[in-house]
Amino acid sequence: MTGIDGCLTEAMAIPGARGASLVDWTSGLTLGAVGDGPDGDHEASAAEAAELARLAVENGGFTGGGARHDGPVEELIVTARGSYHLFRYVATSFDSSVFLYVWLDRTEANLAVALFRMKDLATRLVSA
Amino acid sequence: MTAVVTGGAVVTATLDRLVRERATGALHGRAGALYLADGALVHAESPVVPDVGWRLTASGRLSRESWEEAVTEGGPDHRAGSLLVERGRLSRGELELCHLSALFDAAYFVLSPLDGSQRAPDRFLRGARHWFGPVRPVPVAAVRREVRRRRGLLERAWPCPELDVSPVVPVPAPAPAPRAVRRSPSGAVLAAADGVRTPTQIAGALGRSAFATLLDVRRLAAAGLVRTPAPGTPPPRRARPAAPAARVPADAPEIFLLQRIRDALEAL
Repeated sequence: MTGIDGCLTEAMAIPGARGASLVDWTSGLTLGAVGDGPDGDHEASAAEAAELARLAVENGGFTGGGARHDGPVEELIVTARGSYHLFRYVATSFDSSVFLYVWLDRTEANLAVALFRMKDLATRLVSA
Repeated sequence: MTAVVTGGAVVTATLDRLVRERATGALHGRAGALYLADGALVHAESPVVPDVGWRLTASGRLSRESWEEAVTEGGPDHRAGSLLVERGRLSRGELELCHLSALFDAAYFVLSPLDGSQRAPDRFLRGARHWFGPVRPVPVAAVRREVRRRRGLLERAWPCPELDVSPVVPVPAPAPAPRAVRRSPSGAVLAAADGVRTPTQIAGALGRSAFATLLDVRRLAAAGLVRTPAPGTPPPRRARPAAPAARVPADAPEIFLLQRIRDALEAL
Protein backbone atom coordinates (compact mmCIF):
# COMPACT_ATOMS: atom_id res chain seq x y z
CA MET A 1 0.00 0.00 0.00
CA THR A 2 1.32 3.46 -0.86
CA GLY A 3 -0.50 5.88 1.39
CA ILE A 4 -3.90 7.44 0.84
CA ASP A 5 -3.98 6.83 -2.92
CA GLY A 6 -3.01 3.18 -2.56
CA CYS A 7 -5.63 2.66 0.13
CA LEU A 8 -8.38 4.19 -2.03
CA THR A 9 -7.32 2.24 -5.12
CA GLU A 10 -7.56 -0.98 -3.13
CA ALA A 11 -10.92 0.10 -1.71
CA MET A 12 -12.28 0.45 -5.25
CA ALA A 13 -11.36 -3.21 -5.82
CA ILE A 14 -13.91 -4.27 -3.17
CA PRO A 15 -16.78 -5.96 -5.07
CA GLY A 16 -19.57 -3.45 -5.67
CA ALA A 17 -17.53 -0.35 -4.77
CA ARG A 18 -18.67 2.76 -6.61
CA GLY A 19 -16.67 5.34 -4.72
CA ALA A 20 -14.20 5.60 -1.87
CA SER A 21 -12.81 8.49 0.12
CA LEU A 22 -10.84 9.31 3.25
CA VAL A 23 -12.63 11.99 5.23
CA ASP A 24 -11.78 14.04 8.33
CA TRP A 25 -14.83 13.91 10.58
CA THR A 26 -13.92 17.03 12.56
CA SER A 27 -14.35 19.34 9.59
CA GLY A 28 -15.76 17.23 6.75
CA LEU A 29 -12.60 17.67 4.70
CA THR A 30 -11.98 15.09 1.96
CA LEU A 31 -8.32 14.01 2.10
CA GLY A 32 -8.60 11.85 -1.01
CA ALA A 33 -11.34 10.38 -3.18
CA VAL A 34 -11.68 7.97 -6.12
CA GLY A 35 -14.61 6.71 -8.16
CA ASP A 36 -18.02 8.38 -7.92
CA GLY A 37 -19.48 10.20 -4.96
CA PRO A 38 -23.13 9.77 -3.99
CA ASP A 39 -25.03 12.64 -5.68
CA GLY A 40 -22.05 12.93 -8.02
CA ASP A 41 -20.11 15.05 -5.55
CA HIS A 42 -17.49 13.62 -3.18
CA GLU A 43 -16.96 16.81 -1.21
CA ALA A 44 -20.60 17.50 -0.38
CA SER A 45 -21.36 13.90 0.55
CA ALA A 46 -18.14 13.69 2.60
CA ALA A 47 -19.16 16.73 4.65
CA GLU A 48 -22.55 15.16 5.39
CA ALA A 49 -21.05 11.75 6.12
CA ALA A 50 -18.57 13.43 8.47
CA GLU A 51 -21.40 14.86 10.54
CA LEU A 52 -22.84 11.38 11.03
CA ALA A 53 -19.41 9.96 11.81
CA ARG A 54 -18.79 12.61 14.43
CA LEU A 55 -22.14 12.10 16.14
CA ALA A 56 -21.50 8.36 16.35
CA VAL A 57 -17.95 8.64 17.64
CA GLU A 58 -18.88 11.19 20.30
CA ASN A 59 -22.02 9.38 21.39
CA GLY A 60 -21.41 8.14 24.90
CA GLY A 61 -24.22 5.63 24.55
CA PHE A 62 -22.23 3.71 21.94
CA THR A 63 -18.89 3.79 23.68
CA GLY A 64 -19.54 4.40 27.37
CA GLY A 65 -20.54 2.21 30.22
CA GLY A 66 -17.05 1.20 31.12
CA ALA A 67 -17.81 -2.49 30.59
CA ARG A 68 -15.05 -4.61 29.11
CA HIS A 69 -16.82 -5.10 25.81
CA ASP A 70 -17.21 -1.36 25.21
CA GLY A 71 -14.68 0.72 23.35
CA PRO A 72 -14.33 3.20 20.53
CA VAL A 73 -16.74 3.03 17.60
CA GLU A 74 -15.05 1.10 14.77
CA GLU A 75 -17.47 1.24 11.88
CA LEU A 76 -20.84 2.53 10.75
CA ILE A 77 -23.14 0.73 8.34
CA VAL A 78 -25.87 2.58 6.50
CA THR A 79 -28.05 0.43 4.27
CA ALA A 80 -30.21 2.08 1.66
CA ARG A 81 -32.48 0.23 -0.77
CA GLY A 82 -29.91 0.19 -3.54
CA SER A 83 -26.62 0.85 -1.77
CA TYR A 84 -24.43 0.46 1.27
CA HIS A 85 -22.54 3.33 2.83
CA LEU A 86 -19.77 1.95 5.01
CA PHE A 87 -17.53 3.94 7.34
CA ARG A 88 -14.41 2.52 8.93
CA TYR A 89 -12.61 4.72 11.47
CA VAL A 90 -8.83 4.88 11.04
CA ALA A 91 -7.12 4.48 14.42
CA THR A 92 -3.83 6.38 14.79
CA SER A 93 -1.71 6.86 17.87
CA PHE A 94 -1.23 10.56 17.04
CA ASP A 95 -4.11 13.04 16.92
CA SER A 96 -6.38 12.50 13.91
CA SER A 97 -10.06 12.12 13.08
CA VAL A 98 -10.27 10.21 9.81
CA PHE A 99 -12.54 7.52 8.42
CA LEU A 100 -12.56 5.47 5.25
CA TYR A 101 -15.88 5.87 3.46
CA VAL A 102 -16.91 3.38 0.77
CA TRP A 103 -20.13 3.60 -1.20
CA LEU A 104 -21.22 0.27 -2.70
CA ASP A 105 -23.85 -1.02 -5.08
CA ARG A 106 -26.02 -3.28 -2.93
CA THR A 107 -26.78 -5.78 -5.70
CA GLU A 108 -23.06 -6.42 -6.29
CA ALA A 109 -21.64 -6.01 -2.80
CA ASN A 110 -21.29 -8.49 0.03
CA LEU A 111 -21.54 -6.66 3.32
CA ALA A 112 -19.31 -9.00 5.31
CA VAL A 113 -16.61 -9.09 2.64
CA ALA A 114 -16.66 -5.30 2.28
CA LEU A 115 -16.35 -4.72 6.04
CA PHE A 116 -13.54 -7.25 6.32
CA ARG A 117 -11.62 -5.62 3.49
CA MET A 118 -12.14 -2.12 4.87
CA LYS A 119 -10.88 -3.15 8.29
CA ASP A 120 -7.74 -4.52 6.67
CA LEU A 121 -7.26 -1.38 4.55
CA ALA A 122 -7.73 1.01 7.49
CA THR A 123 -5.22 -0.99 9.53
CA ARG A 124 -2.57 -1.27 6.83
CA LEU A 125 -2.84 2.42 5.94
CA VAL A 126 -1.31 3.32 9.30
CA SER A 127 0.95 0.30 9.89
CA ALA A 128 4.65 0.91 9.38
CA MET B 1 -12.43 44.59 11.38
CA THR B 2 -11.33 46.62 8.38
CA ALA B 3 -7.81 45.33 8.82
CA VAL B 4 -9.01 41.73 8.55
CA VAL B 5 -10.98 42.38 5.40
CA THR B 6 -8.14 44.32 3.81
CA GLY B 7 -5.57 41.72 4.83
CA GLY B 8 -7.79 38.94 3.52
CA ALA B 9 -8.24 40.66 0.17
CA VAL B 10 -4.49 41.25 -0.13
CA VAL B 11 -3.58 37.66 0.65
CA THR B 12 -6.25 36.42 -1.75
CA ALA B 13 -4.84 38.53 -4.58
CA THR B 14 -1.27 37.51 -3.73
CA LEU B 15 -2.16 33.82 -3.57
CA ASP B 16 -4.08 34.03 -6.85
CA ARG B 17 -1.04 35.50 -8.54
CA LEU B 18 1.33 32.91 -7.04
CA VAL B 19 -0.94 30.06 -8.15
CA ARG B 20 -1.12 31.50 -11.69
CA GLU B 21 2.68 31.80 -11.78
CA ARG B 22 3.01 28.24 -10.42
CA ALA B 23 5.36 29.82 -7.91
CA THR B 24 7.63 28.05 -5.44
CA GLY B 25 8.47 29.74 -2.14
CA ALA B 26 7.16 30.79 1.27
CA LEU B 27 4.44 33.40 1.82
CA HIS B 28 4.97 34.51 5.38
CA GLY B 29 3.93 36.97 8.03
CA ARG B 30 3.35 37.02 11.76
CA ALA B 31 0.41 34.62 11.58
CA GLY B 32 2.63 31.96 10.01
CA ALA B 33 3.81 30.76 6.62
CA LEU B 34 2.41 28.99 3.58
CA TYR B 35 4.92 27.04 1.48
CA LEU B 36 4.10 26.64 -2.18
CA ALA B 37 5.67 24.37 -4.78
CA ASP B 38 4.60 24.87 -8.39
CA GLY B 39 1.64 26.89 -7.16
CA ALA B 40 0.26 24.20 -4.79
CA LEU B 41 0.38 24.28 -1.00
CA VAL B 42 2.96 21.79 0.30
CA HIS B 43 3.46 22.97 3.88
CA ALA B 44 2.01 25.44 6.35
CA GLU B 45 3.05 26.51 9.79
CA SER B 46 1.61 28.77 12.43
CA PRO B 47 2.97 29.64 15.88
CA VAL B 48 -0.37 28.60 17.43
CA VAL B 49 -0.54 25.18 15.75
CA PRO B 50 1.34 22.05 16.91
CA ASP B 51 3.71 20.98 14.14
CA VAL B 52 4.12 17.46 12.76
CA GLY B 53 7.07 16.69 15.03
CA TRP B 54 5.21 17.64 18.17
CA ARG B 55 2.08 15.72 17.11
CA LEU B 56 4.14 12.58 16.54
CA THR B 57 6.30 12.82 19.66
CA ALA B 58 3.68 14.17 22.12
CA SER B 59 1.52 11.15 21.31
CA GLY B 60 4.45 8.79 21.75
CA ARG B 61 4.19 7.63 18.14
CA LEU B 62 7.83 8.62 17.53
CA SER B 63 10.68 9.00 19.98
CA ARG B 64 12.33 12.37 20.15
CA GLU B 65 15.49 10.68 18.80
CA SER B 66 13.76 9.25 15.69
CA TRP B 67 12.28 12.63 14.92
CA GLU B 68 15.55 14.52 15.38
CA GLU B 69 17.40 11.95 13.30
CA ALA B 70 14.99 12.57 10.39
CA VAL B 71 15.27 16.35 10.77
CA THR B 72 19.06 16.31 10.97
CA GLU B 73 19.64 13.84 8.15
CA GLY B 74 16.69 14.63 5.85
CA GLY B 75 16.29 18.35 6.56
CA PRO B 76 19.24 19.67 4.54
CA ASP B 77 17.84 17.95 1.42
CA HIS B 78 14.26 19.04 2.23
CA ARG B 79 13.09 15.49 2.79
CA ALA B 80 12.79 14.92 6.55
CA GLY B 81 9.22 13.61 6.10
CA SER B 82 9.97 10.99 3.47
CA LEU B 83 13.03 9.85 5.42
CA LEU B 84 10.72 8.81 8.26
CA VAL B 85 8.95 6.47 5.84
CA GLU B 86 12.14 5.17 4.23
CA ARG B 87 13.57 4.32 7.65
CA GLY B 88 10.37 2.45 8.53
CA ARG B 89 9.53 4.85 11.38
CA LEU B 90 6.11 5.69 9.89
CA SER B 91 3.88 4.27 7.17
CA ARG B 92 3.28 6.44 4.14
CA GLY B 93 -0.36 6.73 5.27
CA GLU B 94 0.60 7.95 8.73
CA LEU B 95 2.92 10.56 7.26
CA GLU B 96 0.20 11.79 4.91
CA LEU B 97 -2.57 11.88 7.51
CA CYS B 98 -0.44 13.63 10.12
CA HIS B 99 1.07 16.11 7.68
CA LEU B 100 -2.25 16.98 6.00
CA SER B 101 -3.86 17.47 9.38
CA ALA B 102 -1.06 19.86 10.45
CA LEU B 103 -1.09 21.60 7.05
CA PHE B 104 -4.82 22.39 7.02
CA ASP B 105 -4.69 23.29 10.71
CA ALA B 106 -1.87 25.81 10.21
CA ALA B 107 -3.32 27.14 6.94
CA TYR B 108 -6.54 27.95 8.78
CA PHE B 109 -4.75 30.14 11.33
CA VAL B 110 -2.55 31.79 8.69
CA LEU B 111 -5.53 32.75 6.52
CA SER B 112 -7.89 33.41 9.44
CA PRO B 113 -5.62 34.80 12.20
CA LEU B 114 -6.85 34.71 15.81
CA ASP B 115 -5.61 38.21 16.36
CA GLY B 116 -7.75 40.27 13.98
CA SER B 117 -5.20 43.08 13.95
CA GLN B 118 -2.55 40.74 12.61
CA ARG B 119 -1.70 41.37 9.01
CA ALA B 120 -2.20 38.53 6.60
CA PRO B 121 1.10 37.14 5.25
CA ASP B 122 2.37 39.50 2.60
CA ARG B 123 6.05 38.69 2.10
CA PHE B 124 7.01 36.04 -0.41
CA LEU B 125 10.39 34.41 -0.14
CA ARG B 126 10.77 33.09 -3.66
CA GLY B 127 12.40 29.71 -4.01
CA ALA B 128 12.16 28.88 -0.27
CA ARG B 129 11.47 25.24 0.45
CA HIS B 130 10.58 23.71 3.79
CA TRP B 131 12.96 21.20 5.34
CA PHE B 132 10.12 18.74 5.94
CA GLY B 133 9.68 18.28 2.19
CA PRO B 134 6.49 17.94 0.15
CA VAL B 135 4.16 15.09 1.12
CA ARG B 136 0.84 15.55 -0.62
CA PRO B 137 0.44 18.93 -2.37
CA VAL B 138 -2.97 20.56 -1.93
CA PRO B 139 -4.55 23.00 -4.43
CA VAL B 140 -4.83 26.48 -2.91
CA ALA B 141 -8.52 26.61 -3.90
CA ALA B 142 -9.21 23.52 -1.76
CA VAL B 143 -7.45 25.15 1.21
CA ARG B 144 -9.57 28.27 0.83
CA ARG B 145 -12.79 26.24 0.69
CA GLU B 146 -11.72 24.42 3.84
CA VAL B 147 -10.93 27.66 5.68
CA ARG B 148 -14.42 28.96 4.83
CA ARG B 149 -16.04 25.73 5.97
CA ARG B 150 -14.12 25.76 9.25
CA ARG B 151 -15.13 29.36 9.95
CA GLY B 152 -18.73 28.30 9.38
CA LEU B 153 -18.39 25.31 11.72
CA LEU B 154 -17.10 27.52 14.54
CA GLU B 155 -19.83 30.07 13.96
CA ARG B 156 -22.56 27.43 13.95
CA ALA B 157 -21.19 25.66 17.03
CA TRP B 158 -21.34 28.79 19.22
CA PRO B 159 -20.96 32.28 17.73
CA CYS B 160 -18.45 33.68 20.23
CA PRO B 161 -15.00 34.33 18.70
CA GLU B 162 -13.76 35.66 22.08
CA LEU B 163 -13.64 32.03 23.23
CA ASP B 164 -10.83 31.32 20.75
CA VAL B 165 -8.39 33.67 22.49
CA SER B 166 -9.56 33.59 26.10
CA PRO B 167 -8.49 31.27 28.92
CA VAL B 168 -10.78 28.25 28.98
CA VAL B 169 -12.69 28.39 32.25
CA PRO B 170 -14.68 25.27 33.15
CA VAL B 171 -18.08 25.94 34.66
CA PRO B 172 -18.29 24.30 38.09
CA ALA B 173 -21.01 21.77 37.45
CA PRO B 174 -23.28 20.46 40.20
CA ALA B 175 -22.92 17.05 38.56
CA PRO B 176 -19.93 15.66 36.64
CA ALA B 177 -19.85 16.30 32.88
CA PRO B 178 -22.05 13.92 30.89
CA ARG B 179 -20.41 10.61 30.15
CA ALA B 180 -20.38 11.36 26.42
CA VAL B 181 -18.25 14.45 27.03
CA ARG B 182 -15.86 12.77 29.47
CA ARG B 183 -15.03 10.02 27.01
CA SER B 184 -14.82 12.10 23.82
CA PRO B 185 -11.78 14.08 22.63
CA SER B 186 -13.42 17.22 23.97
CA GLY B 187 -13.23 15.54 27.38
CA ALA B 188 -9.43 15.77 27.18
CA VAL B 189 -9.78 19.45 26.32
CA LEU B 190 -12.13 20.02 29.25
CA ALA B 191 -9.76 18.16 31.56
CA ALA B 192 -6.88 20.39 30.39
CA ALA B 193 -8.91 23.58 30.94
CA ASP B 194 -7.34 25.21 33.99
CA GLY B 195 -8.80 28.71 33.67
CA VAL B 196 -5.43 30.01 32.45
CA ARG B 197 -4.62 28.35 29.14
CA THR B 198 -6.31 29.45 25.93
CA PRO B 199 -7.66 26.87 23.43
CA THR B 200 -4.52 26.97 21.29
CA GLN B 201 -2.31 26.59 24.36
CA ILE B 202 -4.34 23.53 25.34
CA ALA B 203 -3.94 22.21 21.77
CA GLY B 204 -0.19 22.75 22.10
CA ALA B 205 -0.05 20.90 25.41
CA LEU B 206 -2.04 17.96 24.01
CA GLY B 207 -0.35 17.85 20.57
CA ARG B 208 -3.86 18.11 19.18
CA SER B 209 -5.28 19.98 16.19
CA ALA B 210 -5.71 23.64 17.17
CA PHE B 211 -8.84 24.04 15.04
CA ALA B 212 -10.43 20.90 16.52
CA THR B 213 -9.67 22.30 19.97
CA LEU B 214 -11.31 25.65 19.13
CA LEU B 215 -14.35 23.73 17.94
CA ASP B 216 -14.39 21.60 21.11
CA VAL B 217 -14.26 24.71 23.27
CA ARG B 218 -17.09 26.37 21.33
CA ARG B 219 -19.20 23.23 21.71
CA LEU B 220 -18.36 22.92 25.39
CA ALA B 221 -19.45 26.55 25.82
CA ALA B 222 -22.67 25.85 23.95
CA ALA B 223 -23.27 22.93 26.32
CA GLY B 224 -22.68 25.21 29.30
CA LEU B 225 -19.54 23.35 30.42
CA VAL B 226 -17.17 26.24 29.69
CA ARG B 227 -17.76 29.88 30.60
CA THR B 228 -18.53 32.20 27.68
CA PRO B 229 -16.58 35.49 27.98
CA ALA B 230 -18.47 38.75 27.58
CA PRO B 231 -18.49 40.05 23.98
CA GLY B 232 -15.49 42.22 23.19
CA THR B 233 -13.36 40.83 26.03
CA PRO B 234 -9.74 41.45 25.01
CA PRO B 235 -7.39 38.48 25.13
CA PRO B 236 -4.98 38.65 28.09
CA ARG B 237 -1.98 38.31 25.80
CA ARG B 238 -1.16 36.79 22.49
CA ALA B 239 -1.55 33.04 22.56
CA ARG B 240 1.65 31.10 22.19
CA PRO B 241 1.98 27.38 21.66
CA ALA B 242 3.08 25.37 24.66
CA ALA B 243 4.95 23.02 22.32
CA PRO B 244 8.72 23.30 22.32
CA ALA B 245 10.18 24.73 19.14
CA ALA B 246 11.13 22.03 16.68
CA ARG B 247 14.76 21.70 15.76
CA VAL B 248 15.41 22.89 12.26
CA PRO B 249 18.52 22.52 10.13
CA ALA B 250 20.95 25.39 10.25
CA ASP B 251 20.23 26.49 6.69
CA ALA B 252 16.43 26.64 7.06
CA PRO B 253 14.87 30.12 7.11
CA GLU B 254 14.22 30.70 10.81
CA ILE B 255 11.20 32.84 10.16
CA PHE B 256 9.57 32.40 13.54
CA LEU B 257 12.76 33.02 15.44
CA LEU B 258 13.26 36.28 13.56
CA GLN B 259 9.65 37.24 14.21
CA ARG B 260 9.98 36.51 17.93
CA ILE B 261 13.09 38.69 18.08
CA ARG B 262 11.26 41.48 16.28
CA ASP B 263 8.25 41.11 18.58
CA ALA B 264 10.54 41.30 21.60
CA LEU B 265 12.28 44.41 20.24
CA GLU B 266 8.96 46.08 19.53
CA ALA B 267 7.77 45.28 23.03
CA LEU B 268 10.71 47.17 24.59
